[in-house]
Amino acid sequence: MIESGEKERLKELLRERLIECGWRDEMKSLCRAYTRKKGRNNVTVDDLVHVITPKGRASVPDPVKAELLQRIRSFLASTAT
Amino acid sequence: MSSKINHHHQNDKTNGQIFPQPCPHLADFHARNGTKPFRAIQDCLHIKPPGGRAAIRRDSSEVPRCGVCGDSSCPRLYACMACAAVSCHVPPHSSHVAIHATKTSSACSHEIAVDVDRAELFCCACRDQVYDRDFDAAVVLAHTTSIIQSSKPENLRKRRRIDYRPWSPDLRERSLMVNNASPIDSMSSSNGDLPRGLRGLNNLGNTCFMNSVLQALFHTPPLRNYFLSDRHNRYYCQSKNGVRLCLACDLDTMFSAIFCGDRMPYSPAKFLYSWWRHASNLASYEQQDAHEFFISMLDGIHEKVEKDQHKPRRNGDCCIAHRVFSGILRSDVMCMACGFTSTTFDPCVDFSLDLEPNQGSSMKTSSTKTNHSCNCEADGMNSSQNCGISTLMGCLDRFTRPERLGSDQKFFCQQCQVRQESLKQMSIRKLPLVSCFHIKRFEHSSVRKMSRKVDRYLQFPLSLDMAPYLSSSILRSRFGNRFFPFDGDESNTLNEPSSEFELFAVVTHTGKLDAGHYVTYLRLSNKWYKCDDAWITEVNENTVRAAQGYMMFYVQKMLYYKASEKQGTS
Repeated sequence: MIESGEKERLKELLRERLIECGWRDEMKSLCRAYTRKKGRNNVTVDDLVHVITPKGRASVPDPVKAELLQRIRSFLASTAT
Repeated sequence: MSSKINHHHQNDKTNGQIFPQPCPHLADFHARNGTKPFRAIQDCLHIKPPGGRAAIRRDSSEVPRCGVCGDSSCPRLYACMACAAVSCHVPPHSSHVAIHATKTSSACSHEIAVDVDRAELFCCACRDQVYDRDFDAAVVLAHTTSIIQSSKPENLRKRRRIDYRPWSPDLRERSLMVNNASPIDSMSSSNGDLPRGLRGLNNLGNTCFMNSVLQALFHTPPLRNYFLSDRHNRYYCQSKNGVRLCLACDLDTMFSAIFCGDRMPYSPAKFLYSWWRHASNLASYEQQDAHEFFISMLDGIHEKVEKDQHKPRRNGDCCIAHRVFSGILRSDVMCMACGFTSTTFDPCVDFSLDLEPNQGSSMKTSSTKTNHSCNCEADGMNSSQNCGISTLMGCLDRFTRPERLGSDQKFFCQQCQVRQESLKQMSIRKLPLVSCFHIKRFEHSSVRKMSRKVDRYLQFPLSLDMAPYLSSSILRSRFGNRFFPFDGDESNTLNEPSSEFELFAVVTHTGKLDAGHYVTYLRLSNKWYKCDDAWITEVNENTVRAAQGYMMFYVQKMLYYKASEKQGTS
């Protein structure tokens, strides 16, 4: 799936959907809040990723999940021989 | 596993820009590699459309993999700036890039790496992202070059337009232009009293149904602008190669003919022939239904484009016909037992409204709706109650009111898991640019094998506010302004264009079902013109108000030019 470029396309689609529904802005504000609390110089990218990931995973809207799953399924079906 | 936190990231103000101090490893990298060490990476910077995000790839089809574990699916892969080895970084589990950084050869240190998918610098020793002006400059440069490269050739290939070259006329060309041109706005009533774009259409044999709709379309602002600005060029149209007909090209021909300034009536014979080939079941000299023709024409314009460009039907962006007329209807079916509501969205190109069966039934919950311009003496909606006259807004009220589905039409409720009696309510999720209201005056009863026409008068306003019929308003009134979770859709209505519309064309029908006549009234510069096949005359507004409206065309107020009363003033 990676080599056909499909993963890239799906990633782009997912990015678009998550931006549309405000998920990215939500994550951004969570990051800002965390950084403010910890102090700007005491935070690393790893920290942020570690903190955001569970919240992010949980808050992906269901229709977005459904759409991506649908596309992955149909891609796999179309390339199955 | 805790990451090493570097306390050296202080802020440094240079030229008013706050730039973090480089970590010692980055400073060291700079020291070893000269003043512009990142320009070398320019070749590998690929800007990916559509988001324009920068990525690092040695060639565009490269799939980066971690040199240690061979994994290509981890979220963050880093390429070492010194030796281009790719490693993954998955804290807290493993960090192959950190292991790589400990390798030091004599010439260089392997501490600085770049994120391959995001083009961001990473210091493996500090385990954190670092920032560098030179690197950022390289990314910006790559962005700019990609924009320059991608714009023109793309357009050339897809749209087959010529390269833009600025031009200004020389003396000979200038005199040619002046001698062969006539100023447009020389209408100080010298060119007759008719504004540009008014031209009669000859009746080719019961074709008044076609003429009337065409007149309305010629003056539909977004459609007129589209064709007059050459957005569909009949000489370059692709689908004509071969036998395929293109209704849009024929329409383009007619737009040119109608707006050229010639006042002799035009015969749309070629278009009629093309339309017959498209809608062969309607090809005859019998009188046809104007609304059916309208739908068939929009379909014909759409069909051509769909084959061409594979554009999705989403939001009606597929063709000019849908971009102008397509809206979205929302249908809610609510189970009366448990309250579970099932919602569907359907696109529509017009609104077909029923006339009430008996007079006076247009009085309902009108008090919550806004006022509209009405001819009756009394104010607002009360007037329709008093006069018992059917109004367009009354029909819209009827269209959007909750309707009980009869016991023979029980709907399967997903929550109750049985068929229950339900309530159905329509509302408008998205308004089109141009709303066409079709009044169902022709009733065909297959049961009694007869058809009849409903002649009852319908009053319609010149200005219409569709806000009360939007899904947001209907839902709010249903829930009584209580807070309830909007599904993601509804918040978009905040970005909805205005809901105010202006009337610009009315197609009327007089006579009986089988022997009748269609006439169109057009509103231009606040004057009304009657278009009766080949005859165009100016009429009084009251004549129009008294006419029997069959199809009314409203355009969004912001697209409607209310030209000044006096023509010729600029």
